Amino acid sequence: MTPETIKSRLTPYLTEASGAPATVTSVQPLAGGASRDMWLVEATLNDKAEKLVLRRDLPTTMLEQALTREQEFKLMQAADESGVKVAKPRYLCTDTSVLDAPFFLMNYVEGISIGRKVVQLPELETAREKLPEQMAQQLAKIHQIDTIKHRLGFLPVPRLAHNPVQEAIQQGRDALKKLNIDHPAFEFALRWAEQHAPKSERTTFVHGDFRIGNLIVNEQGLQAVADWEFGHMGDPHEELGYCCMRDWRFGMGKRRVGGVGDREPFLSAYERYSGTRVDRKTVDYWEFLGNLRWAIICMSQANRHLSGREPNVELASLGRRSAEMQFEMLKLIEQMGI
Amino acid sequence: MYDRPALEELLAAVGIFLEKQIGPLVKDDPKLYYQTLIAYNLLKIAERELVWSDKHIHTQWERLNNLLEIDMPLPTNALEAREALERRNEQLCERIRTGEHDEQWPRTVLFAHLLATTREQLEVANPKFLQVISQERATRELSTGILGGG
Repeated sequence: MTPETIKSRLTPYLTEASGAPATVTSVQPLAGGASRDMWLVEATLNDKAEKLVLRRDLPTTMLEQALTREQEFKLMQAADESGVKVAKPRYLCTDTSVLDAPFFLMNYVEGISIGRKVVQLPELETAREKLPEQMAQQLAKIHQIDTIKHRLGFLPVPRLAHNPVQEAIQQGRDALKKLNIDHPAFEFALRWAEQHAPKSERTTFVHGDFRIGNLIVNEQGLQAVADWEFGHMGDPHEELGYCCMRDWRFGMGKRRVGGVGDREPFLSAYERYSGTRVDRKTVDYWEFLGNLRWAIICMSQANRHLSGREPNVELASLGRRSAEMQFEMLKLIEQMGI
Repeated sequence: MYDRPALEELLAAVGIFLEKQIGPLVKDDPKLYYQTLIAYNLLKIAERELVWSDKHIHTQWERLNNLLEIDMPLPTNALEAREALERRNEQLCERIRTGEHDEQWPRTVLFAHLLATTREQLEVANPKFLQVISQERATRELSTGILGGG
């Protein structure tokens, strides 16, 4: 869809949705994920100049577990009302006749959301010092989102008789079966995962993709948590381990928290903000499991290309990136004890 | 057997084309530029695979012989060798699933094999990743060494 088409169709939509005269003055593409397209929309709403971000479904879906735009919109509203730093969701449109697919508009938040830049840009040095603490604070708030009060019953939950650990392992097995792959490293890691599964004591809402590349950061630090489409019910440790994975450290391998900080201060800050205790070994385990899952997802993404459904060089390349996560998952097993 | 350019020379020619001609042309389109970098990187993977695959199939086969305690010769035909290796990996998966490597000793041998195989994958897919990790370990050992000595 061209910027001009979006511009011409969005003007009448925004007039109706906002109940006041609206004019879209500019539409520019934003760098988004592999599965969504994002646009910066500048508009005059009721004589006020506004910057909005449009997030729209692409015809192809990425992962089955992903939420719809409507669900993501509701989730972001709940996060906003719960005091989480998030771009304020503004208008939701499920009528596909407007832009051919469901979409929503949210406030534009000024800042950088490219993980590599957040980790490396010299002007963000001070921001990086604050980030681990700010991440811990946001995570504590995210895990406290009341899913019943906010009517988030659509969120994926672990299947019957499965806790979050067992659910994650089962999803890995299901994905490999679907790909029809016999892979000894995965087979071993899944078995190890089952045999060393920690007890899962608390199930809460988790963001599902909380990592450095999904934060909007400026000189003052964390401005907003983005990309809520993988939100689900899980174990808070899952998320603490996930954001420590090596692949989100962008070359700053020794700084375990997203390439910006050490783990221990981050975990103690989380304990302070959440008023809960964090089991360090369980966080290690989830970091391992995060690598195992991401390694398998890489194979699934490559298969989108290999199956001929979506010929794409970037998807193809992920098949060979999987080994990085496999290596990390084996190294973490070694550290925890084979 | 075939006229030149040889296989590795063909890949290098495409690489030079992507780097010198296409790269500058798409520099202002972030998405296309990124995909061009990926395409270039995939060519580099293919070049490394040409160098390493023969050695890696032999070392992997040797380790499987050791692990499964069967001395089987690797088929001399390249295609048959790959198929045979695939079948052995299927068998290994089955053995892992049924718990045959659960005991300490076979598990340690299995783990060493898996780690070595993953290293070999990375020598082809991303040797820089291995370098960075080993440098990281070296600096960590150095710093703990100094602390430990003091």
